[in-house]
Amino acid sequence: MTHAVKFHPGLMLLEQYVEGSLSADVALAVSAHIDLCPHCQQLSRDITNDQACVLTEQQVTARDDVQEWNQMLDFITNQPVLAAKVPAHDNIAAQVANVTVNGRTFQIPRALARLAENQNKWLHLGGIATAKLPTADKQHVSLLYIDKGTEVPNHTHLGLEMTLVLAGKIVDENGEYGVGDLLINSPDDTHTPRTLADEDCLCLSVLSAPLKFNKGLTRLLNPLQQFFY
Amino acid sequence: MLETTELKGHHDALSKQKRISQRMTINSESETRTGQWEDALTLVALNQDKAAYAELFRYFAPRLRAFGIKMFGNEQQAMEMVQDAMLNVWRKARLFDASRGCASTWIFTIARNVRFDMLRKKQSRKDDISADDLWFDGDYPEQEGNSSDNWDTMLMSEKLSPHFDALPPAQRMVMQKVYLEEKSHQEVSDELAIPLGTVKSRIRLALDRLRGALDDTRS
Repeated sequence: MTHAVKFHPGLMLLEQYVEGSLSADVALAVSAHIDLCPHCQQLSRDITNDQACVLTEQQVTARDDVQEWNQMLDFITNQPVLAAKVPAHDNIAAQVANVTVNGRTFQIPRALARLAENQNKWLHLGGIATAKLPTADKQHVSLLYIDKGTEVPNHTHLGLEMTLVLAGKIVDENGEYGVGDLLINSPDDTHTPRTLADEDCLCLSVLSAPLKFNKGLTRLLNPLQQFFY
Repeated sequence: MLETTELKGHHDALSKQKRISQRMTINSESETRTGQWEDALTLVALNQDKAAYAELFRYFAPRLRAFGIKMFGNEQQAMEMVQDAMLNVWRKARLFDASRGCASTWIFTIARNVRFDMLRKKQSRKDDISADDLWFDGDYPEQEGNSSDNWDTMLMSEKLSPHFDALPPAQRMVMQKVYLEEKSHQEVSDELAIPLGTVKSRIRLALDRLRGALDDTRS
């Protein structure tokens, strides 16, 4: 990976990711970013250490119901332990998966591997294709493929939009984003992302509400919001 | 959702301050603690040692319960989480690798994952995001690391001092001991009765905050 990741989740997001209090879709985008970003791997390990220490150090008052604890303890120690041989998850690289779209095959991060394997329906519209990943939340998680030299029409977000670049490069009014970069757009942010003439792009997209297209004929796309959402 | 990005109460400065003063007062009795839980887990892994497990259980189960009550807001689910998490500790003890992180971190991540999956099951979709997707199985925090070394000179500079004061108290305490009082990581670990790995983690977190304050590229 030659690209140095420039856009990271904020510390607060990482803390909530480690704690497990983010909604699952947002946590998935953060997790996939971490797979691609050594810096945030280290940070999330450090935050985990810190939170575990807080948990361990907290004062707890002795409870009267010693019996309940003893019952639980007996129950647990009478359960069989795991057999000696367990599948080793030794490195992240062993767990990546591939997805193929528009005749191109991309490697995607470990965090998305299992979910991406379960989908195979790409919807195409012009140079853009999306594949929804199955999740149970209200938010919508999809892979978004943008062919080279393609512009996604100017749009406003009705909710939170997170975009993680998985391959290639994407450019908008605010800058250029490469592999591992995480863009977070709030409601009311307006932008026109596009790919460069010589490079296509695969992203993970998490949306909490549909996009709204702003300009001219592209407003005709608004009834097609489900395509992106 | 946007609202989930708000700070949770236990991150606030006051409670951290309190934690630290508690930590200061229990220094003397906890000197021997580092290593105790790792040893206990190893005994459980090697010969399913029930006495060693009972020690772990008596210490961690009530603390996981408190964590569970904070996260779920009710006792019943908290106890369900404790049982599942502590059962995993018993069953999977041989997966614990002391070279990759301390016992408390391992147990915390197990409880966190159990809790996450409990919440997802309530929504009952088979094809769903699971804890295994989000948190890499072998993602143990490391004990050692030295990315912090060339920062001490800069830290003294006036540019940094206001940011230094704004650090969370737990991190500022560690930074102050290491950089201003020039104590070794081990000394700070002993003094505050926190694991060496946590000292290093807090230093890196603080340095990252300071870097971020100087060069604001984080979204």
